[in-house]
Amino acid sequence: MKRLIELTVNGELHELAVEPQATLLDVLREQLGLTGTKEGCGTGECGSCTVLLAGRPVLSCLVLAMECQGQEVTTIEGLSVDGRLTPVQQAFQDRGAVQCGFCTPGMVLAATALLTENPRPSEAEIKKGLEGNLCRCTGYNKIIEAVKLAAESFNQK
Amino acid sequence: MHLPKFDYERLTSAEEAGRLLGRYGGDARLVAGGTDLFPRMKYGLLRPRVILDMKGLSVKSPEVNGDGNLRLGAMTSLAGLARDPLVREKAPLLAEAALGVGSVQVRERATLGGNICLETRCLYYNQSHTFQFTQACFKRGGDLCYLVPGGKKCLAVFCADTVPALISLGASIGIGGPGGVRRILLEKFYTGDAVQPLAISPTELVTEVIIPARPRIGGEAFAKFSVRGGVEFAAVTAAVALRMESDGATCSAAVITVGAVSPAPRRARKAEEALQGKRLSPELFGESARIAAGEISPLPHHGFSAPYLRECLEVQIRRALEAVAKRVRS
Repeated sequence: MKRLIELTVNGELHELAVEPQATLLDVLREQLGLTGTKEGCGTGECGSCTVLLAGRPVLSCLVLAMECQGQEVTTIEGLSVDGRLTPVQQAFQDRGAVQCGFCTPGMVLAATALLTENPRPSEAEIKKGLEGNLCRCTGYNKIIEAVKLAAESFNQK
Repeated sequence: MHLPKFDYERLTSAEEAGRLLGRYGGDARLVAGGTDLFPRMKYGLLRPRVILDMKGLSVKSPEVNGDGNLRLGAMTSLAGLARDPLVREKAPLLAEAALGVGSVQVRERATLGGNICLETRCLYYNQSHTFQFTQACFKRGGDLCYLVPGGKKCLAVFCADTVPALISLGASIGIGGPGGVRRILLEKFYTGDAVQPLAISPTELVTEVIIPARPRIGGEAFAKFSVRGGVEFAAVTAAVALRMESDGATCSAAVITVGAVSPAPRRARKAEEALQGKRLSPELFGESARIAAGEISPLPHHGFSAPYLRECLEVQIRRALEAVAKRVRS
């Protein structure tokens, strides 16, 4: 049976009627049309569906929408402000850290969460921070370079 | 991939959990982080009628009580454990093991209680059965094994990373149920039966974990072997805790716990005895690891053969012992 929940997505409050079995991913993509969040494996192995829930990275394919009642969600659509990219997004663009692009939203959000917690990560810490995000084009070198570049611009501010 | 249909109840207290578990019995499933349960539901391995969401229960912060024991709430997230300064100080072995689980995203949701109550796993069981393996295996209530054709029982293995660490630290758990809270040694919580791996009834839930104070002189180390090194269940885990004599060089007591190679975590008791009363040395570590690999027979799992796992086990235990020695010296 559907129930009403309140969800703040990218700063905007939504009241939504959701089925118990709807995941946060289902609701973001199908009810709110935020298709930037991708479904890869659907079972928590690939990280494509990463979003920030209360500022923390989670797999939206393994979180029920109902569990998020009253919480704040940030998706890839919510990062840039007035078309201005965040340092992480800009660094991914500058370093060409995008191939097919399917893993990119999850990568960017996982990298954002990593740099928020640890603004000066070592390469090993970057790899550990992105361990849950698979890139099937295997473009990992550029992605790691992009996170390093983003860390530099984070720290210059 | 979609979840099957179910009803949803958000729990607000342990009492309510007990009441609802009593009402729904086997039709209900408790969910904490959901990182183990939801994939299995998506694969169609189980279809609970009701999901009882524990995320509404209060999360107790780690605390040290009067007798020096570290108390942890079962709802603490693995990421929270690994970050917590008190846990890192009082039980660094647990923080290290927690960091080995899944990925950043998984650890944010997954809880300590959930890891303790992890289902046993098998290459065949943990996948979709929509169009293959239509005949149910032991784990799904049938009477055959796909892993070992002709096998007489289920050979799924218990892969939780935090559990060998907790057992090596001598942890016990609190289990809440209709008759109040009972406390048991974590080691006694595992039945060794891969189909029903946990000694808990459907109306009970794990509420807390208690870890005794660390010895004044001693050290611990955790080793996890997996192929990719991330987002992967272990092929072998080893958690070692040594208590030292006041000279700082002689081992007075050792606990070695091995995970992921059997339906329950295993103690390497003969290898522990081999360490007792001896001065630490590379030769002693080599011998103790050999004894451990001799006394524990790993089950083949996830594509790893038993002889291969036996060798892995020896190497991981030896490395863990060497790491402890380094920590004790410093």
